[in-house]
Amino acid sequence: MKKLKKTLVATTAVATTLALIAGCGTSGSSNTSNTSGPSGTGSATPASNEITVGTLYASSGAYATSSMPEYAGLKLWVDQVNAAGGVQVKATGKKEKIKLIAYNDQSSVSTATNLYNQLITQNKVNILVSDFGSVLTSVAVPIAQENKMLLFDPTGSGATFFTPNNPYIVLTALPTSQIWPDSLAQYLTNHGIKHPAILYCENDFDQSQNTTLMQKLQAAGITPVYDNGVATSTSNYSVLVHDIAAKNPDMVMELGYPNNDIAFLQALQSTGTKFNKTFVIFPGQLPALFEKDFPISQLSGLYTYPTPPFINYKNVNYGLTLPNFESQYKSSTGQTANFLSVAGYTTGLIVQKTLETSTSLSQQDLRAAVNQFSGTIVTLDGPFKVDSTTGAQLGETLPVGQLVSNGKGGLGVNILK
Amino acid sequence: MHLLFIRKQLENSGLLRMGADRPVLLYTLVSGILFGIFFGLMGLGLNFIFGVMKIVNLAHGDFVMLGAFGVYLGQTIWGVNPIISLLIEFVVFILIGIPIYYALVPRLLKSRDPEMLSLILFFGFSQTIEALATMAFGNNPETIDATLLGKYPFHLFGQSFQFAWLVVVLVSVAAMVFMYVYLYHTRIGIATRAVMGSREEAQSSGIHVHRVSALAFGIGLGLAAVAGGMSPFMLGGIFPTMGVDLTAMSFAIIVIGSLGNPLGTILGGLVYGISLMLMQTYLPSWSSMVPYLLLIIILLVRPSGLLGRRVRHA
Repeated sequence: MKKLKKTLVATTAVATTLALIAGCGTSGSSNTSNTSGPSGTGSATPASNEITVGTLYASSGAYATSSMPEYAGLKLWVDQVNAAGGVQVKATGKKEKIKLIAYNDQSSVSTATNLYNQLITQNKVNILVSDFGSVLTSVAVPIAQENKMLLFDPTGSGATFFTPNNPYIVLTALPTSQIWPDSLAQYLTNHGIKHPAILYCENDFDQSQNTTLMQKLQAAGITPVYDNGVATSTSNYSVLVHDIAAKNPDMVMELGYPNNDIAFLQALQSTGTKFNKTFVIFPGQLPALFEKDFPISQLSGLYTYPTPPFINYKNVNYGLTLPNFESQYKSSTGQTANFLSVAGYTTGLIVQKTLETSTSLSQQDLRAAVNQFSGTIVTLDGPFKVDSTTGAQLGETLPVGQLVSNGKGGLGVNILK
Repeated sequence: MHLLFIRKQLENSGLLRMGADRPVLLYTLVSGILFGIFFGLMGLGLNFIFGVMKIVNLAHGDFVMLGAFGVYLGQTIWGVNPIISLLIEFVVFILIGIPIYYALVPRLLKSRDPEMLSLILFFGFSQTIEALATMAFGNNPETIDATLLGKYPFHLFGQSFQFAWLVVVLVSVAAMVFMYVYLYHTRIGIATRAVMGSREEAQSSGIHVHRVSALAFGIGLGLAAVAGGMSPFMLGGIFPTMGVDLTAMSFAIIVIGSLGNPLGTILGGLVYGISLMLMQTYLPSWSSMVPYLLLIIILLVRPSGLLGRRVRHA
């Protein structure tokens, strides 16, 4: 008995300690260096004729699937800018090369916390870009605010990040998650969906969508027959799917991250459950990921939020057009471009435009520069427009689309009104 | 405020009118039992290794993950039936486990604090396997078509369930029967039980302790691989970093049942499975807390596990 207790205590203690040790570790950095500059916040003057951009990526863990293409998109931008001699920085009046300092947070929030601090206080980067998604961005937001460092946030669209009290954040490649369901709620209202079911994951990204969706549905007099949250780590949806089916919904919306969407669709496949209409977020953004796991026949008919490459904006006036980006990304990485690589590249473009516009490299001036060009540029990700007070993205909106077979063994999408 | 939130959750989930939702409750309970048997298999290998060697294999979940990828690769690349893959994996993992035992465990057991050192060593082993698997398989979740094990559902108490679940339960029961026969009806199994009782006494009575333990370690890994091979049909997508969660879950199951007692593992799996499914149905927001809640409750109320009295402690 004594030994049993000892084992249990030892297990808990060691597991905790080792988890902490693992959480503190970093691995792999791309083009890493220690740059000098004023203490406290990001450097106001570039060292060695280069602008340092600090970011994190996750090569393993729950967010690796999304983080890596986003990081690859940002790296493509760095490579292209440097190949062209650098960015024309208004503050220095000359072209400056970009040095990317990147650390691997392994999808760990605690590791990310340390590394964001390191980028600001040790590396003293000029520009700070957060990792993918709301979870890994959530820790960057207070750190950036505390250090008065402008955070270029590609895809962390949690609504709580964007408040009038925090001028140190700009959402670059997506609207805030509370805006996402606008088109979805409109679709439900327009198409007479009276008994929807909503299953969402409990994180900033999905919860804020659920909140908005519920508000809009209630305003339209629609009461969902099912509205429940599950842990983001949920991998088995079979029983949940059965519970939802028991409510006889006329449309089911699953709001999760890519892994959740895959697990949900697999539960539909394995249980043989067929809902009248099914909405999931990520097949419209990461179709290749879903095509690998599911037959086109199962994906066809799903409702989703289509993004580039499904949407090809024609009036691009800044950066590469979608076809050019797709070919250059393919030749650079050997992989097919998806929305997250577009988001990473778009973030680079926004950083570039900021440097071209700002009269100094102080973080306040960088933020003011973003307001200055907001609403004037259209990238391959759509029109860039931020809320001048909160930094929330108001452009780059997401319509509702229905996936269809493109007749070539792949997926296409019909944009719905 | 918090009470209001709980009430909203209960109302949304239908727990307040559970009686009116009998089919849902029935489905949940049966699912819980089916999953519970599978969870029992998941913890069996971990508990068997602990029972024989008194070491905690923190890489258990990673061996489960490797078993899952073995079946996935067998099916997608060579078109091998998952059940055939399982049998191959079971043998292969036993053969892999024996040299791993001789490389690691005897040295551990000679150390001052083998239990503590085993935690550290197998944690490192777990991280290594995870890193190598990420390099080999990538980060994206992979899935297997569950209808490979049967296209039509089976019916029980007026409810229909996936046929794959039935196959998984049969495989789990077969693995448990194998363990029973091995431990109680073979010479080496009886010797294994002697080692579980007292390593020193077994050695002094002429039992080749290392040979018995090496085979037990191999069987433990083989059982982990079998559980892994079935996991795509029960747990959804598989990915290289799933091992840590699976180890935590398996550990909770064997503590609930009783450390070192294979029968307790089955009971622990059932308790865990039913609790998880009930929570998913009636309080889905809180379902991820199930293993930890059960762990805390068991440690507070009955630290030796549900079948603690019959356990031979380390």
